[in-house]
Amino acid sequence: MDIDHSTGASVARQSKRRCRGAKDPGLWALFPTPRGMTLLVLLALAGCDRTLGNLRAPAAAGGFIDGGQSPAAIDNPFEGQPAAVEKGKQLFTQMNCAGCHGYDLRGGTMAPDLTDRYWRYGGTPAQIYSSIANGRPMGMPTWRDRLPAAEIWNLVSYIQSQGGATPAADYQAGEQGDLAARPVAPPAGSGPGANPAAARSAHP
Amino acid sequence: MSPPLAWPMGYLKTYGPRADPATSLLWGLIILSLAVVGIITVLAVVGVIVRRQRGAIDDIAALPVERGAAGLAWFYIGVPLTVVALIGALAWTVTVLAAVDSPTVAPRLTIEVTGHQWWWEARYLGHDPGEIFTTANEIHIPTGEPVLIRLISADVIHSFWIPALSGKTDTIPGQTNIAWLQTDQPGDYLGQCAEYCGLQHAHMAIRVMAQAPADFEAWRLGQIQPASSPAGGALTTGQTLFETHCGACHTVRGTTAGGIVGPDLTHLMSRQTLAAGAVPNDKSGLSGWIANPQALKPGAEMPATFLSGQQLSATVAYLETLK
Amino acid sequence: MTAGERSPSRRHARSPLLAAVGVGFALSACHAPTTLSGEPAGASTAATQPQPGATGASADLAPNDPPGDWRSQARDYANTRYSPLSQINPANVAHLKMAWTFSDGAQFGHEGAPLVVGGVMYVVTPYPNIAYALDLTKPGAPIKWSFSPNPAPIAIGKACCDAVLRGWAIADGKLIYNLLDDHTVAVNLETGKEVWRTKMDNPETGTTMTMSAAVFGDKVYVGDSGGELGARGWLAALDVKTGKEIWRAYGAGPDDQVKIGGDFKPYYSWMKGKDLGATSWPPDMWKHGGATSWGWVSYDPELNLIYYGTSNPSPRVPVQRPGLNLWSAAMFARDATTGMARWAFQFTPHDQWDYDGVNENVLISIPWHGQTRKALVQFNRNGFAYTIDRETGEVLVAAPFGNENWASGIDMATGQPVVNPAQEPKPGETLKNICPTDLGVKDWQPSAFSPRTGLIYTPVINVCMDLTDHKQSYIAGTPYDGMEMKRHAGPGGNWGAFIAWDPVKGRTVWSIPEQFMVFSGALATASDLVFYGTVDGWLRAVDARTGKVLWSQKLGSGIISPPMTYTGPDGRQYVAVYAGVGGAPMVEDKQAGFPAHGNTLYVFSLDGVSNSSGAGMITTVAAGADNTRMAGHEAPVSGSAHGY
Repeated sequence: MDIDHSTGASVARQSKRRCRGAKDPGLWALFPTPRGMTLLVLLALAGCDRTLGNLRAPAAAGGFIDGGQSPAAIDNPFEGQPAAVEKGKQLFTQMNCAGCHGYDLRGGTMAPDLTDRYWRYGGTPAQIYSSIANGRPMGMPTWRDRLPAAEIWNLVSYIQSQGGATPAADYQAGEQGDLAARPVAPPAGSGPGANPAAARSAHP
Repeated sequence: MSPPLAWPMGYLKTYGPRADPATSLLWGLIILSLAVVGIITVLAVVGVIVRRQRGAIDDIAALPVERGAAGLAWFYIGVPLTVVALIGALAWTVTVLAAVDSPTVAPRLTIEVTGHQWWWEARYLGHDPGEIFTTANEIHIPTGEPVLIRLISADVIHSFWIPALSGKTDTIPGQTNIAWLQTDQPGDYLGQCAEYCGLQHAHMAIRVMAQAPADFEAWRLGQIQPASSPAGGALTTGQTLFETHCGACHTVRGTTAGGIVGPDLTHLMSRQTLAAGAVPNDKSGLSGWIANPQALKPGAEMPATFLSGQQLSATVAYLETLK
Repeated sequence: MTAGERSPSRRHARSPLLAAVGVGFALSACHAPTTLSGEPAGASTAATQPQPGATGASADLAPNDPPGDWRSQARDYANTRYSPLSQINPANVAHLKMAWTFSDGAQFGHEGAPLVVGGVMYVVTPYPNIAYALDLTKPGAPIKWSFSPNPAPIAIGKACCDAVLRGWAIADGKLIYNLLDDHTVAVNLETGKEVWRTKMDNPETGTTMTMSAAVFGDKVYVGDSGGELGARGWLAALDVKTGKEIWRAYGAGPDDQVKIGGDFKPYYSWMKGKDLGATSWPPDMWKHGGATSWGWVSYDPELNLIYYGTSNPSPRVPVQRPGLNLWSAAMFARDATTGMARWAFQFTPHDQWDYDGVNENVLISIPWHGQTRKALVQFNRNGFAYTIDRETGEVLVAAPFGNENWASGIDMATGQPVVNPAQEPKPGETLKNICPTDLGVKDWQPSAFSPRTGLIYTPVINVCMDLTDHKQSYIAGTPYDGMEMKRHAGPGGNWGAFIAWDPVKGRTVWSIPEQFMVFSGALATASDLVFYGTVDGWLRAVDARTGKVLWSQKLGSGIISPPMTYTGPDGRQYVAVYAGVGGAPMVEDKQAGFPAHGNTLYVFSLDGVSNSSGAGMITTVAAGADNTRMAGHEAPVSGSAHGY
């Protein structure tokens, strides 16, 4: 671009000024039209609605709760986050879970193994969440009144990090007993500070 | 003379035998340093301003080289003076270190202070196990006698610092450090965690309330008592709500709440602040803190509780009975 | 003449004569120190030569039930587990074979022994605590009735050490036992219908009931479990007729709750004082301090005192509860009628390793410095076998009976252990190789005393641990525990052993090392046989004097219940034991050879002869000309002498 040495102004600047007159969209180029924007937002909300829909009461009393995926397949919102795994590990000892399920999570006479593929009440993250929150008939206490939801998800993250949980996407295979033969391998470098990408790749 | 609440973290004026020698040393060294700076400044200024008269120098080669004996006097006098001053300061420092290291009499009271992220747990020991009780963030001590502080860390390195009463002593995971406090002056002394320990390091205050021995004894005996059962009705509902929602992390002796993750709340209302000084301990502070601690102290270990308005007011009403 | 010298032809002698001989031996043993002539047969398996009868110990076998019955778990008030039967003896025991079995279908560990009275055998399963009455007069011992109490399943997840039941009692025409969910139930012996059910506690708080109800006189004594969950411990007396609670004595707390009053006289001064059950804890910690009573109760009818122990203190992290933590890890002698404590003794003050004091107290009389003293023997979890004067609580003998390294000994002036400071846990630090582990050198599995030899026969655990403590919150219904342990076999590599112990001198006489733990309890008989079973399922018969193993039989699962013996309606002596592993031994379930679960009762007799096995037994009927008639009275095609 040429520089006018007398004024110091660049010729390019002048030409840019000329282009400006043709309405340079600038940053707005990143966004679609208002119509498109509305559509995007609605789609996102619909997706939201789809995920949470089955947990809400049916719109008509006594009606079917149709559509969408099973609640058992809901993802753990803290999936793979090392901070959640670390907090869950702390909670596991602080809330006395280790006293029944073992410090190594292998269980004992009081409570089952949390690292194998066998889950009496289902092993997807949402099903583990439900077991913790609601308790179970043979003595698992109820935690929904004692721990906020985020803390229970932290515990779920920790249990998942030990390798024996059923991935949410595979919940039907878990129900049908098809995952029992898969070897249980905790993700490489699992535990606090683990690389989340590595954690995910180890899940079959 | 009561402690300067206008400058609560000031350490230039101290109130106890653990800090007073250090403060004297501090002033002494300041004066010494000022004197040194003053002397050197004067000499430098004199040296700059007062010049030799510029006489004609016709023949530089003819100027005799004189070694003025007067110049060496600066060394003969200056070095010994400096050495004496420095050794004196060293001796004074060592004396101060010895004085603040341990109290002159064996302490009768021992308090185990554990630094957590981001609050202080204080466990009072006694002759009998029946005298042990735990409180948080506000320590009461009797005046006129030394109190032993055993410093423990629950997670990372913190530092216990009450400027008006003592220097800093770290709490280090894996070992127990020893500090002690003593003052003759009743009053409130403020302190802070003095070692960066995470997100809310800045909001990890500690208060030491020094009381006359009789007042301290009354406070201590009150703290040993369990919480009394509430009168009934709404307060009982509040207690049940508290036991269910809060009992996994907090202890109130006299109820089924026995958690040790957060502070012991058996005598919550005997404390002036919440959250290690971050929130005032009144109805609005308590309600705001319980409703969402993350809004007042982001990153604190206590999660948002999502209590409904009714649940919150019932719980707060119950907590206000924990005198 | 010893049993071993009887001629073989008397093996099948008629039972009344042998029963009389057996009773005569037993009665003679009651009143005088036993002296047996003849050298023990076979080589001893231990370092010292046994002195038959030389210990001088004897026991009162009240209530002296008929020799062929087994009417209570321990057979007598003194808890000797000694049977006067001697039809099965060292000469013929190798001919023991299975006569019949009974499976009850329950999954959890089987820890109780069957009771036999009036030709009927009574068993109760672990959770769901179904009671069965088996008619021994009929071939096959068919179920006469069964009773399903339907206990609440929530209790399963609150039972630290499996959903077990350690026994049941028979009294006043009723079968009386505890349910896991904190009820005590009484069932009519004849009809199997419930007579009364009393709620004793709430399983949601982490309290369960696993011990055997014990009945002495008109009272049923029951206690709770839950020292690992911060339960509040107690022992209660119920009226045997109505089940109504008469008194309840807590294991910790102020004197009025522990039922300590003016006539409480502990022998040692450090246990004297007001409200020690509260002041030896930090404020209010006794309210969830454990000190439960889940073990055995013995009874001295002359002194009218019951003897029982308390569990570990809660939490299992000692730094959280400075102080002696009275009255945990201790034992009480209480007035059987009023429940007021007469004396107490704390075995492990400020317990730091889960050394409960609940093990059985065997009541014996011993010669002591020229006098005869009424004493009791407890093989404590902490590895020391105590012989204690049962009138005063004075410790006469305290000697180690297995591997322990937490204490260097017992100070006989105070009765207190001399603790090894290196073995005291601090939270967050891992201590290596503490012996014994939390299971102790002996757990609840009961010993047996033979008045003929004066020895006590007991299983022994040889396991050590690496321990890391973690401070714990008290959250009702969850563990109040904090001990992270890795257990391994102790010195020698064997997980268990079975020993004979001299309670007067305080020394082991012989010892049989076992690869797996021995959790079965012991049975001693008047023919100088001792029976025990191993966790990997071996039932063994042993010569009571030499320790020589005379017979072994592998059963379908691990044996964790005591063997018992009775005389059937046919006059034959039978030995019966449950094989159903579970319970505390599950800690070694990763060891190669560990058995699977089971739920079968095995009944043995000489050559397996019984009314439930043998040739023939029912007749085959020839079909009629048109092949349809199935009349039962046609001429038999293949008959037998027995018929049907």
